[in-house]
Amino acid sequence: MASQRKKSKGENLALRYLILGGWALFCLAPVLWFLSIGLRPRTEIITPQPIYFPSFSLDAWHMIWSDWPMGQYLRNSVAAIIGSVIIDLVLAIPAAYSLSRFTYKGREDIGFYILSTRMMAPAIVAVPIFFLFRNLGLLDTIWALMLIYAAINLSFVTWIIRSYMLDIPKELEDAAKTDGAGELRILWEIIIPAILPGIITASVIAMIFAINEFLFTLLIASTPDAYTMSVALSNFTGGSDGVIYNAIALVAFLAFVPVFLVVVAIQKHLSRGLTMGAVKG
Amino acid sequence: MSNPSLSVSGAAKAAPANPARPTMRRRSKRMKAALPYLLVAPAVIYLMLITLYPGVYAIIQSFHEVKFGPWRPVGLANYEKLLTDYQFWGALWNTFVIGSISLILQCVLALALAFYAYRDPWVKGWRIIFLVPMLFMPSAVAFIYKLFFLDGRVFADLLMKIGLIDGNIAFQSSTWMSRGILILADVWQWTPFLFIIFVAGLQGQDEEVEEAARLDGASWYAIFWNISLPMMKPIIAVALILRAIDITTMFTNVFIITKGGPAFGTETISYFIYRTGFKFFNFGYASAASVIMLIITIVIAQLVVKRAFVSSRS
Repeated sequence: MASQRKKSKGENLALRYLILGGWALFCLAPVLWFLSIGLRPRTEIITPQPIYFPSFSLDAWHMIWSDWPMGQYLRNSVAAIIGSVIIDLVLAIPAAYSLSRFTYKGREDIGFYILSTRMMAPAIVAVPIFFLFRNLGLLDTIWALMLIYAAINLSFVTWIIRSYMLDIPKELEDAAKTDGAGELRILWEIIIPAILPGIITASVIAMIFAINEFLFTLLIASTPDAYTMSVALSNFTGGSDGVIYNAIALVAFLAFVPVFLVVVAIQKHLSRGLTMGAVKG
Repeated sequence: MSNPSLSVSGAAKAAPANPARPTMRRRSKRMKAALPYLLVAPAVIYLMLITLYPGVYAIIQSFHEVKFGPWRPVGLANYEKLLTDYQFWGALWNTFVIGSISLILQCVLALALAFYAYRDPWVKGWRIIFLVPMLFMPSAVAFIYKLFFLDGRVFADLLMKIGLIDGNIAFQSSTWMSRGILILADVWQWTPFLFIIFVAGLQGQDEEVEEAARLDGASWYAIFWNISLPMMKPIIAVALILRAIDITTMFTNVFIITKGGPAFGTETISYFIYRTGFKFFNFGYASAASVIMLIITIVIAQLVVKRAFVSSRS
């Protein structure tokens, strides 16, 4: 463990803390400044001289709830994201089980195909996906968002879960097999409970990517019916009076807080999840 | 998507399982062979619908002129036009320049920070603080930087206050300053991604090797450079590939901060496709650009990613 490592004699602690502290400041300063933007009146945001000590105001807070259907954007985001994570888990758990527990022809290629969909730039498929959803009559619905978020995250989720499944000792399964349990029962009763941390990690990371998704949401959602938080932000331009920054800032924090809490809770698994299991942190 | 031929063979293998529904005894044997394919098939089919179908669609559309009316076949005209379209080449170049500078900066910074943080007693605290930028929605981050540099002119004002400049800075009219903003926003938000992974890699290394070297009198710096870094190579490769994939598809920041300007100087390939398709409604042309990008992706996937992910793991 890091805390048990002794520090070397010649090591310059001042330099270490200067660098780490400096970066911490660089990370947090823009965030705090943006929070101050969210809590000031609109008249003090874009001014001839930037105002560093603004007056406090909850204008933006009232505005996002009364002038915009923010509640609906939030519901849209939550519904699309949860739906997409469920689709991902239903598809990914059996796929990961197949890729990690069986040996068969084409396994590596199938695994790589699933992985390779992650490399796809959204812009490449944007035009056809737009027409596909238009023909299906799904444009501007959260169903389309759900399907597309699920597709974006499926490769990640499958590979993360696969990595956790590979860690389960084979003996555990063999014991169950000699008791006469079938493959699917083993999956359900032994494997899934054992890799629960992996499933949660994968779900959290899928959730973050879904919240962040921008291009597809921009193309698919054209009315508040399907706007999510991420894309609603870019529509806070209030027509003729420019970008409404204080509202944007508050919405950003509204989305940030739950994500931050969840990520802190799974911190230990994060590096493994982010590399699709390639790093075991 | 990047590997259509493989996926097709995968599905073909899965197919024979469906018609098999004979008596119980036979079924159990055939089922056993088919089971892994049946388990993986739904995921593969889903991904093919959402990647292979659009790929084929884009290829067909790229040979047509598709504006508002019906499709009109134009042969290779879209591709011929692309080859001489300086905006298309510019977009490829911008994506490369912005992406590679950004990636190099992030990698160096994340390695340096991980080097200092991983032995620190407060490593968990640093990790949480450094994570913060990554957990903001990218569209929100784009607005932070747009306000700070452009709309609010805060950056220029701060420089003026400490006496570095005496006047405003016209960020929007300078290609390199606009690129700089995009790079800074990306570095700010995504260096933590690499940092988290590198710290995990450093913590996961064999402590005994490190300890032995330290007892021999090697400095931490020497240990990092000669022992830790070489051991971390596969981890660094995987992390950089994942980051590179996201950087080359950079869209949100361009869309919100620069709109590709000035004079297309910050237009990335994703923004080019978006603008051609959804602003000028020239879908055939946008599809042709998508197909070229798709080919580049497949080549890179086969050459680099397959090696880094599959071979090093199995």
